[in-house]
Amino acid sequence: MTVTEALKILRAARKLEGEPYPVELVCGFTPLHLETFLGAHLQQRMSGRRISLSTGLFGNAAGNLESLQGKDLCAVALALEWQDLDPRMGFRSAGQWGPALLPDILKMVRSTLGRMAAAIEQLASGVTVACSLPTLPLPPLFYHPGWQMAEVELALERALVEWASECAARRGFALVSRQRLAEESPALGRYDFKSELLSGLPYTLPHADCVAESLARLLAPPAPKKGLITDLDDTLWHGLVGEVGPENVTWDLASHQHLHGLYQKLLAALSEEGVLVAIASKNDAAVARQALGRPDMLVAPERIFPVEIHWNAKSGSVGRILKTWNIGADSVVFVDDSPMELAEVAAAHPRIECLSFPTNDAAAGYALLRRLRDLFGKPRVAEEDAIRLESIRQGAGFQNAAPDGSSAEEFLRQTEAIITLDCDSKSGDPRTVELVNKTNQFNLNGRRHTEAEWRRRLRRPGAVLMAVGYRDKFGPLGKIAVVEGRQQDDTLYIETWVMSCRAFARRIEHQCLKALFDRSGAGKMVFDFASTPKNGPLRDFLASVTGTPPEGPVELTRGQFEDVCPALYHRIEETQSRNESWIESQPA
Amino acid sequence: MDRIATRLSTCFETVFPDLAAKDIPAATQRSVAAWDSTAAIMLVNVIEDEFGIQMDFDRLEELDSFESICQYLKEQQTAGAASDGSSA
Repeated sequence: MTVTEALKILRAARKLEGEPYPVELVCGFTPLHLETFLGAHLQQRMSGRRISLSTGLFGNAAGNLESLQGKDLCAVALALEWQDLDPRMGFRSAGQWGPALLPDILKMVRSTLGRMAAAIEQLASGVTVACSLPTLPLPPLFYHPGWQMAEVELALERALVEWASECAARRGFALVSRQRLAEESPALGRYDFKSELLSGLPYTLPHADCVAESLARLLAPPAPKKGLITDLDDTLWHGLVGEVGPENVTWDLASHQHLHGLYQKLLAALSEEGVLVAIASKNDAAVARQALGRPDMLVAPERIFPVEIHWNAKSGSVGRILKTWNIGADSVVFVDDSPMELAEVAAAHPRIECLSFPTNDAAAGYALLRRLRDLFGKPRVAEEDAIRLESIRQGAGFQNAAPDGSSAEEFLRQTEAIITLDCDSKSGDPRTVELVNKTNQFNLNGRRHTEAEWRRRLRRPGAVLMAVGYRDKFGPLGKIAVVEGRQQDDTLYIETWVMSCRAFARRIEHQCLKALFDRSGAGKMVFDFASTPKNGPLRDFLASVTGTPPEGPVELTRGQFEDVCPALYHRIEETQSRNESWIESQPA
Repeated sequence: MDRIATRLSTCFETVFPDLAAKDIPAATQRSVAAWDSTAAIMLVNVIEDEFGIQMDFDRLEELDSFESICQYLKEQQTAGAASDGSSA
């Protein structure tokens, strides 16, 4: 990105209305270019919402960080350089260099890092922090030649890494990968010595752009992909299984086909992280399944579901897999070695990301493995990730077992369903906002929230929150629904309501409303409904209980609901006593 | 307005979005409140993007008006043409 492009992006964003997204850039140098690029990169990632970026005082990064306590922020971008830890490690300071001073510099660095760690701890919970560790070289203050790593230099690195490790344990703190930054902004192109001396701007423009983009990627990361559909021949393994036989397809070093083995290992790891993995292959199913069952396979066959192996079009296979997973094509990656198959799938499912498996190009293979890691990367693996595949498999079993007509009622009665209600708005469980932000179909209005905003909402007077878990004899679905809003007198205003598509057809949505009426004692609810391109299921549900398809906010009285509510067979477990107030009474 | 002045105007519009187009040709560091030292650096960066040149930061102080920058760019163009051996 050039400065001109960045300024144009920021200029266009000035017209955006609504509540801005407040971000603080903390650095010790003149922030000019970094601020401009950071604002532009964040703006690109958060289109539709204006970024409000502020900065602190020159040469006082630790103090600037300390001054943020109590400030109303959503995110902090911290661009550290060595001089922020001790001005003597910068070129603009008149402080002395010399061997006798090195222990004192190390002491000062530890002290400043301690101040910064304390300041980060004091930030309001939910504020996201992205940090880039020093990117510029240390000045020539050691007595060793520059090609030798000095002991003090090692001690400085150690202090920095220990500090970063401690900070990284804080929820919402993320570090720029120094390795990736070194690839994107090579060391020799980073520093502008003249500019630093003249104006206090140490970064070259390309480096400022790169650091800004790295920080923005952490503060506003792309949504991770949820599923991967893979081909078999010359993709999951080398060779055409129908021709060479199940015992002769290969994926190991000895056969020089280890890229396929690495791909299998990555799929196994992704699956453990909650990524859904499926197969779409044109093959003889019996033969291909024999190869999949080989004991030396590096991804266990039970980690892969569904498996579509036949001779029909792969676009059809992909369509059925998407239906089983019940996720959008834009959350899925399709990997195949055949350009024709990739084109056929892309034509039928334009929003799916189609990636070519390079059979004879090691560099491209390495790039593919890295690309997949980036596409599926997420800040942490949640409890729900571990049971996602099983719950989808069970969900398919539920759908297949569910009969039509009058026997459906009996089927629901026999599912032994248990619904868990957690109404503790003060618990601050971050998974509630995560579920809100990744759910599209059963979503009241499609609004997304940062963790900081979510916590602010829950601190409002009258705020109510209900997180819903579900399990039945087919297996657990984990936390599957969140309802949030506020109660005022006799009315419950529902401003957020999402439910995982895995939980459809179990009358959980009815049970949610019943629990809300029961707990609140309210006479009516007002749903802040807004139509989105994907929230048809929620619109249809509201139409079924109110009698009219909603076009905006819609009201439902207790009497109306009781008239249409079907029989509910769930057993309810509550994590909070009924006598405890579930409503936030104190103003924030 | 010649071609260099027109392109320079777009640079001013980018850096000083609140400056009216009619006021750009007469703009000076004294007449434009937003034209401080950091804006001067941004202006140079944007001019470098637009004209594909490297400007001399040591001459930043004398480039304090639309007119003086326009003149500087014309000198650069002439010098560039001369060093290329082509006619202006």
